[in-house]
Amino acid sequence: MADVILQSIVKKFGNSTIIDNLSMSINDGEFVTLLGPSGCGKTTLLRMIAGLETIDSGDLMVAGKRYNSLPAQKRRIAMVFQSYALFPHMTVQKNILFGLQINGVSRLKMQQKLKWAVGFLHLNGLEDRFPREISGGQRQRVALARALVLDPDVLLLDEPLSNLDAALRETAVEELKRIHRHVGKTIIYVTHNQVEAMSMSERIALINNGRIVQYDSPTILYDSPSNIFAAEFIGSPPINIYDGEIQAEGDVTGIVTDIGFLRIDKERASRLRDFGGRKVRIGIRPQCICFSGHKDSRRSTDSEIDVSVELVENLGDKYLVIGRNISGAVVRFLITRDEDIIPERKMKVFVDGRRIHIFDTSTLLNILS
Amino acid sequence: MAIERRQAPMTPGKKVIWGTGILIGLFIVMGPVYLLVKYSISDIQSINTGGDPIPWWPFDPTLQIFLYLFKDQHFYHVLLNSVIVAFSTVMLSMALGIPAAYVLGRYRVPGRKALLLGIISVRLFPDIASVIPVVEFFIHIGAHQTYWGVVLAHTLLALPYVIFIGIGAFESIPSDLEQQAWVMGAGSFQTFFKILLPLAVPGLAAAAIYTFLLSWDEFIFAYFLMLGKQEIFTLTLYLNGIKYAEPQNLLAAISVCLSVPVVIFSLMVQKYMIAGVSTGSVK
Repeated sequence: MADVILQSIVKKFGNSTIIDNLSMSINDGEFVTLLGPSGCGKTTLLRMIAGLETIDSGDLMVAGKRYNSLPAQKRRIAMVFQSYALFPHMTVQKNILFGLQINGVSRLKMQQKLKWAVGFLHLNGLEDRFPREISGGQRQRVALARALVLDPDVLLLDEPLSNLDAALRETAVEELKRIHRHVGKTIIYVTHNQVEAMSMSERIALINNGRIVQYDSPTILYDSPSNIFAAEFIGSPPINIYDGEIQAEGDVTGIVTDIGFLRIDKERASRLRDFGGRKVRIGIRPQCICFSGHKDSRRSTDSEIDVSVELVENLGDKYLVIGRNISGAVVRFLITRDEDIIPERKMKVFVDGRRIHIFDTSTLLNILS
Repeated sequence: MAIERRQAPMTPGKKVIWGTGILIGLFIVMGPVYLLVKYSISDIQSINTGGDPIPWWPFDPTLQIFLYLFKDQHFYHVLLNSVIVAFSTVMLSMALGIPAAYVLGRYRVPGRKALLLGIISVRLFPDIASVIPVVEFFIHIGAHQTYWGVVLAHTLLALPYVIFIGIGAFESIPSDLEQQAWVMGAGSFQTFFKILLPLAVPGLAAAAIYTFLLSWDEFIFAYFLMLGKQEIFTLTLYLNGIKYAEPQNLLAAISVCLSVPVVIFSLMVQKYMIAGVSTGSVK
């Protein structure tokens, strides 16, 4: 069992606080991603778990043991660096076996491990090559093999896909998921790429300015962002954000915004009633604004808004339309490619009232969660 | 991805220009070597031409002067001395310089700047100025007229260069590699010997060649330290002793002999100086 518990972790470099009283726990065998913009402290956090940075205060517990002052060499943790850090003067085989050799593993056991790793990560035939003689994707797999043969309690991955091209990244994501399912190790993954985080993790810790913004499953993070930062950081294309004011009069509860009056579904509207007149900021994902010629397909919670098309981006299966309404507010939404879209075209689109995220203007927190 | 560097094929005009340039460069570099070798295998008529121009190639090439030289027992002794002193200097300079370069190159040492300045200041004086105090000091500690005295003096001269070249070699190794080794369980010593040292070897090999050359060629310190002790004379001192001797081309023969070991040593060490040995570790 190797669960990881961080308790009130603080890290300072000089006067600036990198990690600010951060607590989280990671279950045994869980795939957790530390997600955040560059400079948010996610890599520092990972390096603290690896033992490459000291912990100023707080506790780091791995498998029930306090790890704070345990040197990196003694931790049962493996790490794959962003650069892969393959030893350039050693062949693939020697790279993979380096850790075992250091730890005095028997020759027979090493050969078994090597055979397993080479097969598991499709490195057959590359054993005697040097790192400079293999491709980026192969280097990444060697780095993974080198970590896995050590049979660590926890596997740390620091942006391991950022050096790969887009196509390779897709396969690498699948590969990592497969590895996780097979070896069942606790994996802590660091990235600034929300798509990677969403597609691989069981839970995502969204970090900003050294604090955890939200720590939830990808679905919850996407469906109910706890504050406006989470809403803006997760999801692609980026979410639409508008200022507004809650209006709760008579039967219809909604929000007055730059793009018009937006209805909210009944269940949530009842909870909003007490907030009448309150200034808010709302977020609507481009996926939740739809264009449809059929009036029948509209729901009672939909609100109609008028936009004039400004730009169209082809996303392959869909178009991302960037339009403006009369007040000049930008509206981003997705439509199927069947539609004939040209700039300047005027169109009516519908906002799904059940999927509007509402945040307090001053605290920036989601007022319904 | 394997890095391949391809250059565009050269136009004929460019080829001619490059070719000529290379030939001129080769002539400048190899000219003196040619003259030296030619002189060493010349017969007496080709040297004392009696006013006629000296021929480009000896009339009657002969290895006679080498045979004469190799019959001299003292020459062997001197050659051996030089080898002993140069190798010992390389060993001692490396043994002292590598650890220093490692620490200065990879750790934030307090007073690093002052330390580096102190190290290089040793070489800011002309040798002729530092030789007297050094020799006097060596006399006090009984290091004059000994092998180890000369080795120590040569190490003193070579060490700043070894340290500076070494710092460069260690500094250029990405810290990811070191930290990766730590995370994999390697202690400081294992990390040093298995990761850092092998990766610094190209730079250190250059330092070793330089040190060997320096000691092999060095005259002033060797002269003052060995004065009056013929048994431990090195080649440069021997050369100094026979500079007016007959036959005239003996000097050339000795110079050739002086160069051969250097070439051999350089070739031995050169294979470690593979450029770009660290490509492929970090993208």
